[in-house]
Amino acid sequence: MSKTVLIVDDDADVRDSLSVLLMRSEYAVKTFASAKALLDAGDPGADCCVLADVRMPEMDGLALQRELTARWPRLPVVIMTGHGDVPMAVKAMRAGAIDFLEKPFEKPALMEALKRAFALAGAPPAEAPAQKISPRQVLTEREYEVFQLLVAGDPNKIVAYKLNISVRTAEAHRANLMAKLNARNLADLVRMSFADENS
Amino acid sequence: MARPTSPAVNADSLFDALIATAVDGIMVIDERANVLIYNAACERLFGYAAEEVIGRNVKMLMPEPYRAQHDGYVGHYLETREKHIIGIGREVSGRRKDGTTFPMNLSVGEGMVGGKRIFVGIITDLTERAARDKRIQDLQTEMWHVSRLTDMGQVAAGLAHELNQPLTAILNYSNAGREIAQEDEQKDLETIFAKVAEQTARAGNIIRRLRSFIEKREPNRIEEDLVRTVEEAIRLGMPDAADRNIRLELQAKAGLPNALIDRIQIQQVVINLMKNAAEAMENSSKREIVLGVAQASDEFLQVSVADSGPGLDKDVADKLFQAFMTTKKSGMGMGLNICRGIVEAHGGRLWAEANPGGGAVFRFNVPIAKSEP
Ligand SMILES: Nc1ncnc2c1ncn2[C@@H]1O[C@H](COP(=O)(O)OP(=O)(O)OP(=O)(O)O)[C@@H](O)[C@H]1O
Ligand SMILES: [Mg+2]
Repeated sequence: MSKTVLIVDDDADVRDSLSVLLMRSEYAVKTFASAKALLDAGDPGADCCVLADVRMPEMDGLALQRELTARWPRLPVVIMTGHGDVPMAVKAMRAGAIDFLEKPFEKPALMEALKRAFALAGAPPAEAPAQKISPRQVLTEREYEVFQLLVAGDPNKIVAYKLNISVRTAEAHRANLMAKLNARNLADLVRMSFADENS
Repeated sequence: MARPTSPAVNADSLFDALIATAVDGIMVIDERANVLIYNAACERLFGYAAEEVIGRNVKMLMPEPYRAQHDGYVGHYLETREKHIIGIGREVSGRRKDGTTFPMNLSVGEGMVGGKRIFVGIITDLTERAARDKRIQDLQTEMWHVSRLTDMGQVAAGLAHELNQPLTAILNYSNAGREIAQEDEQKDLETIFAKVAEQTARAGNIIRRLRSFIEKREPNRIEEDLVRTVEEAIRLGMPDAADRNIRLELQAKAGLPNALIDRIQIQQVVINLMKNAAEAMENSSKREIVLGVAQASDEFLQVSVADSGPGLDKDVADKLFQAFMTTKKSGMGMGLNICRGIVEAHGGRLWAEANPGGGAVFRFNVPIAKSEP
């Protein structure tokens, strides 16, 4: 059976364009106009991955993520966010989402997130791959402070404000710590923070 | 004229007690404006002890220019009997011992005692009322100022979010097109699709920049008393509720934890919701807005604004928060879009429900301030 991506977005054009984008890929696609529609369809079974928008009326992506974790803990979820929804995406990751993508995104980013998600599909939950680097150990104290705010979903500006440093300094810390941790994006950082908490 | 005291009490001691315990300042002066009586409340108000004032001219308690003119006023009255303040009461300024002035209400009565003319002054301190008025005025100015800034920012933020959806779709379509063209070896088409994708990404970046430009206003999220914040919003936003035949009620639980909010932004949200409620009830016979502040969970406090209007239109209900979505002739349709943006920036949610008793309820959550460990 082929791997199926379950797309959940209240915007019909976004749904359709994602189907078209995945048309000639290895993945089959099913679309849902709301979180409820997905839940009502019942257990999707193995070899599926959910790609859900974070901002939807009634049940948003975060609530959906929580519900899915409760019902079908082995179903991997990738969250899509608009600008400024990062704190919600971070919460979704804490609730078990595999990754998040900031709209609009390029195809390679999408394919990589899906690949990672399917690699975890069916695997027992909470077995995120062990991180070799512990942020707490490799970062300076200041960088670690910045790290913690970032993974809580604060944008650079808020980080700067909370730590009483300039935005430019916050950005520099961010760049440094991303390099030290070998992280490509915020989702990577969030994942590392889980590993750090569990160590 | 009957005595205003019962024969059973000693009128003299009762009189002394009355003067001493009065909350308002009581002062008696003679015809030459010399102070005869100056009670404890006056001592508190003016900062002078009784012995510093009694026997001296009352003008010492007035700021210039009244101080210089007072002799003239008294003389003028005694000659002409033209009343400017006597029997009326008026808002004037008093001068404290330290030279500062304060607003007070002064009412003056005139009487004869033992063949001598006396004037009795009752003084009410208006400092607090003035401070309250000033705070409201300050808030209004601040609100007006900030709301222009945030309105602009929030309009742009709302637009940015909505533009982002079609941009996402365009980028996906063009990337799909590029791939297909590539597979089918249609070089020209591939180039064109690549260019479309490139331009879409560029538009996406403009939106990103726009957003970070908007976010330039430092968020001022601090611990605030949410009930007080809402009370102030009511005073600022609906001072004319009674004139519009609207009954306003605030139901708040006591002892709620503080919220972590930008007060002015949250007040803007409350004011917008009340404005919508009032506008929705324009043709209703029952006009009632009930606001509530309560705890929603360990993490969130909730504010609700319920009205007794016609409720949410079916066609409108799922588009409420979209930019430029309005059913009003003069509406911009940005109110709820802005409100949602503000609430979400606080990490909360804003949504609408039907009011079980008829009408609509809008609810939003804001985070509880957790004191730093
Ligand atoms: N309390 C309410 N009861 C019924 N309908 C409401 C209520 N609040 C909002 N609406 C509907 O939602 C629409 C959008 O409201 P919104 O505040 O966003 O814009 P608006 O009030 O029309 O214009 P403005 O930009 O001036 O606020 C309204 O036009 C109205 O149809
Ligand atoms: Mg409105």
